[in-house]
Amino acid sequence: MTLIAERPGSGAARPYRFPDIVRRTVAGGRVVAAHLPGQMLASASLLLDAGAAREPAGREGAASVLAKALEEGTTKRDATAYALALEGLGAELSTSVDWDAFRLAVGVPVGVLPAAVELMAEAARTPLLDPAEVSRVRDDEVTALKMDWAQPGPRADAALRADLFDGRYGRPLHGDPASTAAVTADDVAAFHADWFLRPGTLLVAGDLDVLDLDALAAAAFAGTSGDDLPVDEPLDVPVRDARRVLLVDRPGSVQSTLRLGHRAPHRAHPDYVPMSLAATVLGGAFTSRLNHLIREVRGYTYGIRGDFGFSRRFGRFSVSAAVQTAVTAPALADTVGEISRTRATGVTEDELAVARTWRAGQLSVEMQTPGAIAGALATLVLHGLPDDYHATLRERLLGATVEEVSAAARTHLHPDGLTVVVEGDAAVLRDELVAANVGEVVDAKL
Amino acid sequence: MPSPSVATTGYPWPIETARLDNGLRVVVSSDRTAPVVCVNLWYDVGSRHEPAGQTGFAHLFEHLMFEGSVHVAKTEHMKLVQGSGGSLNATTNPDRTNYFETMPSEHLELALWLEADRMGGLVPALTQETLDNQREVVKNERRQRYENVPYGDAWLRLLPLLYPPGHPYHHATIGSMEDLNAADLATFQAFHTLYYAPNNAVLTVVGDTDAETVFGLAQKYFGSLPAKPDIPPAPDGTLAGGLTEPARETVVGAVPAARIYLSHRTHPFGTPGYDAATVLATVLGSGRGSRLYQRLADGKRIAQPDYIGAYGVDLAHAPAPVIVTATVKDGVAVEDLEAGLGEVLDSLVDEPVTEAELDRAKALLTTSWWRGLSTVGGRADTLGRYATQFGDPARAGERLGGWLAVTAADVTQAAAELFTPESRVTLTYLPEQTEETA
Repeated sequence: MTLIAERPGSGAARPYRFPDIVRRTVAGGRVVAAHLPGQMLASASLLLDAGAAREPAGREGAASVLAKALEEGTTKRDATAYALALEGLGAELSTSVDWDAFRLAVGVPVGVLPAAVELMAEAARTPLLDPAEVSRVRDDEVTALKMDWAQPGPRADAALRADLFDGRYGRPLHGDPASTAAVTADDVAAFHADWFLRPGTLLVAGDLDVLDLDALAAAAFAGTSGDDLPVDEPLDVPVRDARRVLLVDRPGSVQSTLRLGHRAPHRAHPDYVPMSLAATVLGGAFTSRLNHLIREVRGYTYGIRGDFGFSRRFGRFSVSAAVQTAVTAPALADTVGEISRTRATGVTEDELAVARTWRAGQLSVEMQTPGAIAGALATLVLHGLPDDYHATLRERLLGATVEEVSAAARTHLHPDGLTVVVEGDAAVLRDELVAANVGEVVDAKL
Repeated sequence: MPSPSVATTGYPWPIETARLDNGLRVVVSSDRTAPVVCVNLWYDVGSRHEPAGQTGFAHLFEHLMFEGSVHVAKTEHMKLVQGSGGSLNATTNPDRTNYFETMPSEHLELALWLEADRMGGLVPALTQETLDNQREVVKNERRQRYENVPYGDAWLRLLPLLYPPGHPYHHATIGSMEDLNAADLATFQAFHTLYYAPNNAVLTVVGDTDAETVFGLAQKYFGSLPAKPDIPPAPDGTLAGGLTEPARETVVGAVPAARIYLSHRTHPFGTPGYDAATVLATVLGSGRGSRLYQRLADGKRIAQPDYIGAYGVDLAHAPAPVIVTATVKDGVAVEDLEAGLGEVLDSLVDEPVTEAELDRAKALLTTSWWRGLSTVGGRADTLGRYATQFGDPARAGERLGGWLAVTAADVTQAAAELFTPESRVTLTYLPEQTEETA
């Protein structure tokens, strides 16, 4: 056996290029499209300013119930006929609710995209929302949430969020079983009437040589009116004086689900790039400090990751892992230790080199499909970014220095102000957690 | 440039193949659209090769392949791939183990060097410390994915009901905690020596490169690795049809609602019989227009709409299972749900599938096929599969046509043949207490 010992160098890189972008205003709405010549599939999304932040207090989950109710019949046809029409094209309607927006999407062979967009718009603009059907969908959604909340994770996430934020942002993105149970058919109809009848933005990723954007837009914006809504100011970034441990009981659990976090700046903050890179070094890449220590050295977990999450008005830093119950306290100590070390001493050039090249490379590697490109277009629209944003981002990632990224770690990581959530077998864990002295241990109120 | 109107095959990109003297098969499919390239290796070894007492070894071994080889230090593999902008992973299933990385195309040669180094030079780098660490990681993977999640062990319970003791699919790929604890270093060294050979692998490269370049680089990096004679085949998986007696298991556990899994053995992946089973499963349980959704989630409203469906598991070395699952709505007796599922399965014979149902299923399968091929990674894995399992990557182009050729009569016949009561596996989960955890 003669393996070649010398590691090969890199070939010549092709220049980075995001697909050509077309922006247009049609029928009162905006169209943002990316040209993917020759692509067999195409993707279209309707982006509406109807995110979870629009939900009234105590009715968290209304947008998610509406998302399901959209497919329960329209003013044109009943639920079965709608399902057969859409699926007969090979399409399924996907819906997503986040803090900033409500998004509907279809991905199909390019030839049937116009028909799929018409059906998507029909559900978005003219759903029947029969009160009895909406109530049934609501009940089903409550049951589905209970199913989801029986898994490890959702309760820990809710405990962390409640400790970090107030008001709507302190409640789960998709509501919880109780708040969703309180949603009425009237709430759903009102949410639709208030937020779904402005044009919004149509995103298209596909072969624009065979797609008629004006026709797609006419279908997407039919029957809508009104202007875009203003975006509220970003939230402040308060941080706790001392760490606090919230215990969520999961009797008999063979693992502890860990969530550690604190608040952080919003998406448009000037430190976005160095913050993201600091988090990549700490907990983003496979070779990150956290994954290396907790998984590859200790063997405590199948995986651990940490990142900054960003929306238009706020951000948060968080670390997530599931660790074997018996090592919960040492895993927490190691995790807090790595966050503290990263804040105190910053990153090294060796680590940053991996982080910046990885993040820059992912702009090509992770954006091959029409669906991924449509997702990138949504980012441009939500955050008001220019056509050359991805190329600029790539340059900024590759140009980031150790000093900038270390400074971002120093400014935006707060290991002493972390909220630490442990979802696991409280009877086994409590004394050990108190003794570990990570922070005051209290039972989470859920 | 392919487009749907001219696509007469399910794989309208070029495919070029070569075989090195040591038996390594090399498959290249060039596509210059994006500056990315995927390198994918299928090794023809999976959990079906594991003898009793060594369950989970193929998968644990997959983890060890990321921990360094003769010229790659521990942790360096991941660092080099991500540090070049790439994404990587590997998976193990009953049939095979695959390793893949999608890279910015200027780093193609690095990916090939890394793969050659761990194909030919893993054993000298394998240490007890690495094994002990990855054993703990895999045990945590087992806890996280199978033990700590409601219904998480359904697949682990279905397999021994579907396949008899000693059959290569009888045990699950994740293995048992006991066997993982007993795994020793010498066994893994022997495992690599036995199975990780150029003549037991297919190297597929898809994306921003060309066949000449890849064939040259494959020869440069893999060409000197020796072929290994006498690689033992897995135990024979041949089974005549489905079960001859129904099998049933009921689990009382920490689940939020009663759930039923029904399963039948069908035909091996890649056969016309399995194409019919795939269309059948789509008609039955994929999407809101499916029979299961229409009749039990809508219709009778005894099943939760988010948790109902049917799908095949694409295994190639024995009759592959189709799995049907549904979860009761609040207040519904699990017996009523089981009866409802039985009626829907029977309806596929008694009320033949309509052309509209068939067209809906084929349209969904068509979109899903093209979505699977919409990345260089998806294409590389597909070509690697067909080269490994059917001897020719170009046979990937036949699958979509195979599905589209299935007739309504074929679906009815498949339902009558496959979904018989005597061949049915029924796995039922019941909650421990009547009150649900919220």
